[in-house]
Amino acid sequence: MFCLQFSSFTTPPIKNVEGKTVSSYTASGISVKSGSSSNPCAFTSTKSADSWLFCGWSSGGGALAAAERGKMSVAHLESSDVDGVDDRIRRISSTIRVIPDFPKPGIIFQDITTLLLDHQAFKDTIDLFVERYEGKNINVVAGVEARGFIFGPPIALAIGAKFVPLRKPKKLPGEVISEEYSLEYGTDIMEMHIGAVQPGENALVVDDLIATGGTLGAAIRLLERVGANVVECACVIELPELKGRERLADKPLFVLISS
Amino acid sequence: MFAEENGLRGDPRLREIFEAIRVVPHFPKPGIMFQDITPLFTNPQVFKHTVDIFVERYRDKGISVVAGVEARGFMFGPSIALAIGAKFVPLRKRGKLPGEVISEYYDLEYGKDCLEMHTDAVEKGDKAVVVDDLIATGGTLSAAIKLIERIGAEVVECACVIGVPAAMGQKRLNGRPVYMLVEPKDFQG
Repeated sequence: MFCLQFSSFTTPPIKNVEGKTVSSYTASGISVKSGSSSNPCAFTSTKSADSWLFCGWSSGGGALAAAERGKMSVAHLESSDVDGVDDRIRRISSTIRVIPDFPKPGIIFQDITTLLLDHQAFKDTIDLFVERYEGKNINVVAGVEARGFIFGPPIALAIGAKFVPLRKPKKLPGEVISEEYSLEYGTDIMEMHIGAVQPGENALVVDDLIATGGTLGAAIRLLERVGANVVECACVIELPELKGRERLADKPLFVLISS
Repeated sequence: MFAEENGLRGDPRLREIFEAIRVVPHFPKPGIMFQDITPLFTNPQVFKHTVDIFVERYRDKGISVVAGVEARGFMFGPSIALAIGAKFVPLRKRGKLPGEVISEYYDLEYGKDCLEMHTDAVEKGDKAVVVDDLIATGGTLSAAIKLIERIGAEVVECACVIGVPAAMGQKRLNGRPVYMLVEPKDFQG
């Protein structure tokens, strides 16, 4: 039973005491309590301008700490079997295919379609998110078109939440709200149905990958405009050099793999 | 074939699924009564019923692939694939899939569109179900079937939440059956 805490403004390779790579996680303003076998590591959020990079987990069935009822503060990845999490992440990571110069020269594309061909890896991916979010009063899983549609609904189904698609312009019929966001060159628009999400609902935003954070930032703004509480963004892969975490309006980000 | 005529007569889940569909008139253009399935997902129970019905039909049948047509097929297909132990294969618009793909063009009312699949997603000997939210003319699904069969895999059935009776026995589906849960809803203005 252990807890690790790193405070850092960069994203070093994240390893636990056995030297194995673990999931990474970040949030603003975390205070760490030390753990014991009877009181597993718990983390509560405090107001702070600093960003902390934290990783690690507790074993032995510790409970997720919630600072306030019905509101998720800081979560830690929980597992009663540390090796099980490592093995699953290792397998998931091994299924992702890297394709150079797509969609254009110089870009290294992280292709998750090969993950979807490995039933166990795909199941493990969903399980890792579900283990994190089940029982945490999440009402909405919002998925970004189109690869967010692949991961979002299975997570929503397993945790009993709604699934809300966030789409390119003119795809959703009926009344929508729109949010513009920056691309490398120019802008794009993301839309959400009016009435899909109610004020006060707790929401996750799901996509396969976070790069610059532009898309996720727009998703957060859409949800907040209708009064939802965005609890966390969840992605399979992060490209940390592109600093997407900084564009999430201080919302926490949870990823399985940092590439 | 419709679910109601194939073992699910009187199944209350079909009624709930039908009730959840929202009809949006004149979208994307005048004259089209768009069958919006997104309300299915805002009711977790109804979404679960939808997935359960397909899973009950396809589990333990040796289905090794669930192929989903972009983008609404992506909302249903993966949950079904996960539950029955199959691969999920996304069938995408042109230029979206990286790496080596095969392409199939199909007719629209005006012009053509294109569906693509990775060359290594599916293998000879795979048994596949193709999933989309709705079948109308069958153009998209016929392209999907062709892609999968070009690799030498077998399309066992197409599965759609909403379908029209005219879709049954559609020649362009190459003899492959289509299983539909409900018919399109009328607009109550």
